[in-house]
Amino acid sequence: MKLLRSTGSVLQRLLRSPGSALALLFLLGITLAAILADLLPLNPYAQKLVNALNGPSAANWFGTDEVGRDILARVVFGARTSLLTAAGAVAIAAVIGVPIGLVAGFFGGWRDATLMRFVDVLLALPAILFAMAMIAVLGRSQVAALIAVGITGIPSFARITRAQVLSLRRRDFVTAVEAFGGSSAYNMFRTILPNSWSPIFVQIVVLCSVAILLEAALSFLGVGVAPPTPSWGEMLRTGKSYLHEAPYYAVLPGIVLTLTILSFDVIGRSLAGILENRSEVATPAKAGGAP
Amino acid sequence: MIGFVLRRFGQLLPLLLLASIGIWAMIFAVPGGPIGMLVGENATPEAIAAAEKQFGLDRPAVVQYLDWLWNALQGNFGTSIHGREPVLHLIGQRLPATLHLAVAATIVSLVIGIPVAILSALKPGSWIDRVLSAWSALALGVPTFWLGILLILLFAVELHWLPSASGYVPIWEDPLAALCNLALPALTLGVYVSGILARFLRASLVGELRADYVRTARSKGLPERQVVGTHIMRNALLPFVTIVGLMMANFIGGAVVTEAVFTYPGLGRLLIQAISTRDYPLIQGCIVVILVLYIAINMAVDVLYAYIDPRIEYS
Repeated sequence: MKLLRSTGSVLQRLLRSPGSALALLFLLGITLAAILADLLPLNPYAQKLVNALNGPSAANWFGTDEVGRDILARVVFGARTSLLTAAGAVAIAAVIGVPIGLVAGFFGGWRDATLMRFVDVLLALPAILFAMAMIAVLGRSQVAALIAVGITGIPSFARITRAQVLSLRRRDFVTAVEAFGGSSAYNMFRTILPNSWSPIFVQIVVLCSVAILLEAALSFLGVGVAPPTPSWGEMLRTGKSYLHEAPYYAVLPGIVLTLTILSFDVIGRSLAGILENRSEVATPAKAGGAP
Repeated sequence: MIGFVLRRFGQLLPLLLLASIGIWAMIFAVPGGPIGMLVGENATPEAIAAAEKQFGLDRPAVVQYLDWLWNALQGNFGTSIHGREPVLHLIGQRLPATLHLAVAATIVSLVIGIPVAILSALKPGSWIDRVLSAWSALALGVPTFWLGILLILLFAVELHWLPSASGYVPIWEDPLAALCNLALPALTLGVYVSGILARFLRASLVGELRADYVRTARSKGLPERQVVGTHIMRNALLPFVTIVGLMMANFIGGAVVTEAVFTYPGLGRLLIQAISTRDYPLIQGCIVVILVLYIAINMAVDVLYAYIDPRIEYS
């Protein structure tokens, strides 16, 4: 109940800024379209070669592609690919990254050194290269893209959680649980983790935008989700070959992709502002403003 | 100072070793090697065995790795299975193109990012701050491959000012052609990074503007230009240098997407080719070179610190 009330108040504050309200509205629309895509009168696979590369019209609002498929239908179904990949990737990153950060920050010593070296190795290569190498191993599929993007997100969760744990580790309420004989696992997951949610939640939103971008980039390079499954990156890749004949082909899906990424970014930053103001007392480490 | 550089170098070695083992293990985890692609689908088992023997792929994975490591330590990264050329030679051909793009993109990002950050930091909360912050968000949110496409549409398809595909021309051979070829990829990458730089420098500047020494400088009547130019910038630049260094390091291998948009012959595209043809020696070589450059740039940034901030000692 308390959680519901606090979620409600965060949502209210989020809606107060016109930018975040618009971003939320846009994401809501995209998500609904992705979920209800099957109920809409859209078919992303129906080919009609005589209609190939027709500009936007009343019948095809976004025009048609090189084999006469409706680009709007492919954008809507592509949203499903993008959002699913992003959600799965962020879940993988959080489920692996948060415990790594918890253990590293809580125990310190060799566990911290070993886990953070692992995270450093992940960070040393640009995310896109790492994801490509992963896909080379796993083969080209949506699941492979999801896992590859997810693994590149682990370091950010590990680092943020670790920083958060370090700032809470010596606080009285954590020491008190230890003094009363609470186990390390209880302390990590029941005492520290519930007090670390704000930055982790902000990171979830921010990483959604990164994951969507990375998935689209992989598809653009031709190693992401395999065609004919609609994907925004793949549409831009093909659209680039028809810039002279059909500039709308690469431009319109790009607008939807960009607006989605921007919306997650805007909401992430607003949330950071709202949650960090509120949790400033609880996390004095952040007041120092680490770069 | 020398001790510091050596120590950092010592930290680099285990990282490289770990990365190379990781990549090797990943490559061997995949079914289907480069030989299948090389000899074709209809090759006899004897032909495949002969080709495997020729490239030493019939030996156990650990032996192959140790052999590679021993040669790599002597500066020999092996021969590309597909290009049949020494790996270092192939990388050497692409590296100048990548460095050209990295430097050009960094210049573009600084030229856009620094003024944006200063203008918005001087009047936090004003309309100009809001407009410029929105601009930074836009620069960060627009995917580079889409921005690249838009720039091609405008400058190549509509205006015919610049080529839509960028080749590599050394700047010392034909500066004008080099700039024409670099303009669009550098602008694409530079705009994106300027968003990061502007956001970061703005936060750093806003923090410095509140510092006591700024109030002192102002109260003794120094002109604003001098307060910002010499006092604040010097302090705000410190964390900024790290970010610029990180960005440059990222361009070395991470500009894959931009290189793909403009079919620019950089190191990133060489690595994509290597991955798609499972060219083990070339993949290993590319990644090791990218990592070495990445860490070397980071090390150079650390050393640069001493010049900007005399408070840092390399003890």
